[in-house]
Amino acid sequence: METSFALTGKGYVIIAADTTAARSIVKMKVDADKIKVLSPHLLMSYSGEPGDTIQFAEYVERNIRLYQIRNLYALTPSAAASWIRRSLAESLRSRNPYAVNLLVGGYDTTSHQPHLYWIDYLGTMTEIPFGAHGYGSYFALSLLDRYHDPEASLEEGLSTLKRCINEVAKRLVVSPDRYTVKVVDKDGVREVEL
Amino acid sequence: MLDMHSVPQQQPQGRQFNPYTENGGTILAIAGADFSVIAGDTRQSEGYSIQTRYAPKVFRLTDKAVLAVNGFAADGNMFVKKVRQRLEWYRHAHAKDMPIRAIARLIQTMLYARRFFPYYVYNILGGIEEDGTGAVYSFDPVGSYERETCRAAGAAQSLVQPFLDNQIYFKNQTPAAGTSFPSHLPLSTVLSLVIDSFTSATERHIEVGDGLEMYVVLARESTALQGVEGIGGVQEITMTEEGHRVFVIRRELKKD
Amino acid sequence: MNSLAEKYSTTSPLSKLRKAQQLAEDEELSDAMWGSSAGFGSLAKGIPSFTVAPVPDPAAFLRLHTDDHADPNCRIKIQHGTTTLAFRYKGGVIVAVDSRATAGSYVASGTVKKVIEINPYLLGTMAGGAADCQYWETYLGMHCRLHELRNRERISVSAASKYLSNLVYSYKGMGLSMGTMICGWDKTGPCIFYVDSDGTRLKGDLFSVGSGSTFAYGVLDQGYHWDLTDEEAQELGRRSIYAAGHRDAFSGNTCNLYHVKQDGWHFIGNYDLSKLHYEGPNNVAGQGYGYDVRTEGRTSANPPPAATATA
Repeated sequence: METSFALTGKGYVIIAADTTAARSIVKMKVDADKIKVLSPHLLMSYSGEPGDTIQFAEYVERNIRLYQIRNLYALTPSAAASWIRRSLAESLRSRNPYAVNLLVGGYDTTSHQPHLYWIDYLGTMTEIPFGAHGYGSYFALSLLDRYHDPEASLEEGLSTLKRCINEVAKRLVVSPDRYTVKVVDKDGVREVEL
Repeated sequence: MLDMHSVPQQQPQGRQFNPYTENGGTILAIAGADFSVIAGDTRQSEGYSIQTRYAPKVFRLTDKAVLAVNGFAADGNMFVKKVRQRLEWYRHAHAKDMPIRAIARLIQTMLYARRFFPYYVYNILGGIEEDGTGAVYSFDPVGSYERETCRAAGAAQSLVQPFLDNQIYFKNQTPAAGTSFPSHLPLSTVLSLVIDSFTSATERHIEVGDGLEMYVVLARESTALQGVEGIGGVQEITMTEEGHRVFVIRRELKKD
Repeated sequence: MNSLAEKYSTTSPLSKLRKAQQLAEDEELSDAMWGSSAGFGSLAKGIPSFTVAPVPDPAAFLRLHTDDHADPNCRIKIQHGTTTLAFRYKGGVIVAVDSRATAGSYVASGTVKKVIEINPYLLGTMAGGAADCQYWETYLGMHCRLHELRNRERISVSAASKYLSNLVYSYKGMGLSMGTMICGWDKTGPCIFYVDSDGTRLKGDLFSVGSGSTFAYGVLDQGYHWDLTDEEAQELGRRSIYAAGHRDAFSGNTCNLYHVKQDGWHFIGNYDLSKLHYEGPNNVAGQGYGYDVRTEGRTSANPPPAATATA
C-alpha cells in the first residue's frame, strides 16, 4: 500500500515515500521515485491514482519552473503550496479531476523556517509539523504525536522517521520495503540513505 | 364479465419482514443520594402522526424499582409484561421483592435471550439499591448495561443528555474558588431539572410532548420529601409496608 | 443443491438456529424460569437458548436491522468503537482501555467499563458489541467457577480463553461481534489470549483491539520491551490509550488501567484523557501528553547566527 511520511525539524523538512508502483496485485516497479524536486528549496511527494499522480506532479513541476524563469526568483513554500492546492481544487471541479495526495515541504530562505503542507485530492490543505498519507498514517501519526520534536537535529529527525518506517513494516499487512528519503534545508535539496 | 386471461398472473412475491417501528418519546432517570427519579413523556407517535397523547412509558415494577422503556412501543409493553411476570415468580419462590441489581441482571439476560431477534427497546431502570442508595441502570437493546447517576434515552436523548451532563455532573463548569460541586442533588432540584428537560425537549423535538410522568422512589428513611411540598399532583402508589415508597407526579406538556 | 444440503446438515448456521429455536420453546415451560436462576437456570442443559426471527435467513434479518456500517439509518444501534490493549512484561500484564461507547456518531456513554472482571485472576476486555462481550464474559466467569469447584484448582488462562473461543465459534455467521483479550496469571505465569467472534484465538505478548488500535500500536510498539519497570509499563499503557483517544474519533473520554500480578489483578486508576492531554497522570500543568503541550515554546525555525545579531 502506498505510504508517505514527512516531518519538520530544526531548519529542515524530511519527506519519505515508498518506492513501489503497483497495479492490481502486481508490483510493476520497485524503485520508483515519488518525490519531486520542484525548486532549489521545495519538495513534493505524490501518491494516489496511477497516471494522475505523474501527470499532475509534472504539471506542477513545470509551472513552478516557469514562474522562476519569468520572475527570476522562486516561489516561497507557502506560495507554492497555495498554488498547488488551487490547481487541485480547480481540477476537482473539472470533468476529469486529478486524484492525487501530496506532501509539500520547503525551506523558506527569507524567514529561515521550514514549512510542511499536507494536501489531499479534494484540495484540503493544512500546515503541519509532521504528516502522512496512506495506511501508514494510522500507525505513524500517534507515534509522531509522541516522538516528534520541532528542534530535533537532522540525525534525530531521521531516527524518528526510521521509527515510523519500522512501525509500518511491523504492523501493516502489505507494507512497503523501500523508501526514498529527501531532505530540504538552507543548503537546498538532497537525497539521503537511511 | 371479467376475462380470466386479462387478470395479470399472480406471481409469488417476496416481502421484507419488518416487525419494527419507532414510536418516539423520551425517557430519563436521575439517581439521588437516597432517592431516584424516573420520568417519561406520554406521547406515542409513528412518523408525523400522533397515535395517542397518553401511552405510559414508565412502569412501577416493585416498591424499589421503576422501569422506563422507549423505542418500539409494542416490544416495550411486551417486555415490561415479561419482566413483571418474572418478578412475580421470584416473589412466589422467595417471598420477597427482587433487589434492583438482580433486576438489572435479569433484564440483561432477558434482552440478550433475544440477541438474534432483538427487542427494539431502550431500557432505563431506576430505584433503591439494597444499601439504600439511589440507583439508575441503563441498557442497550441487546442487554449491555451500566450503573450511572443519570441517563436520558429516546428521541430527544441528544438534547437532554448534554443538559444533564452540565447540571448533574457539572461538566464544563468550574467551581468557585474554595468550593466544590455536590455529588448528589436534593429532590427539589432534581425534579425541576427533569421538568425543564422535558419542557425544552417538547419545544425542540416533534416527538416529545403531551404529558409528563415522573416516578419518585424514596428509600425507607429518606427525608427527601421535605422541601418539595410545593409540587402539585403528587400521588403515592406504594404497594407494600416494607418502607420504600413510590410516588408519581403527572404534569401537562405542550400538545402541539 | 445447497439449500438441500443445508436442510439436512446439523452444523450449518441455519440448522443451529432451528435447534436454538427449539430449545427456546422448551425453555418457555422449564422450571428454571420460576426460581432465582434468572435465565442462567439452563446452565445444566448447556448453553442458554435464543429466540430467532421466524424468517428463512435470520442472520440476514439481524444484519438488516442492526448493522449500522451497512446502513446508518437502521433502527437498532449496537454500541461500537473502542481502543483496548494488553501486554505482557516481566512484571505481569498491563491492561488499558478507553471508556467511550458510540451509536452512530452519538457518544452514547463516556463511562463504559470495558474491562470485565471475570474473577480475581482473570480479566477480559471489551471491543465490538458491548452486550456480546459483557454477556459471554460473565458467562465465562460462571464456567470458570464451575471448573474450580469440579477440579479443585483455578482454570488456566489458556483453557478459559479456549472455552470462550469455542463458544463464540459455535455462533459463527449469526452476527456476534467481539474482539477480546483474556488476561490473567496462572501456573505458567502472566498470560494473554486474543479471542474474537470469527473464532480466532491467539497467544501473544502484546495486543491492541478496536478502531483505535493502530494508533495505540504506534506508541505501544515503540516503547515496549520485556524489562519495563511497573511504573514504565503502566505509563506506556496509559500513554497508548491517550494516543488512540487523540487520533481516533470513536475512542476517548477516560482510560481504565489494570495491572495483573501473581496475586491477581489490581485496578490502578481511571484517567480523564483531556486531563492527560494538558496535565498528564500527576495533574501537573504543562506535563501533559499533548503534542502542543509537550513542544510548547520549541520552534523549527533556524535563523543563522548573523541574522539573529542584526535583528
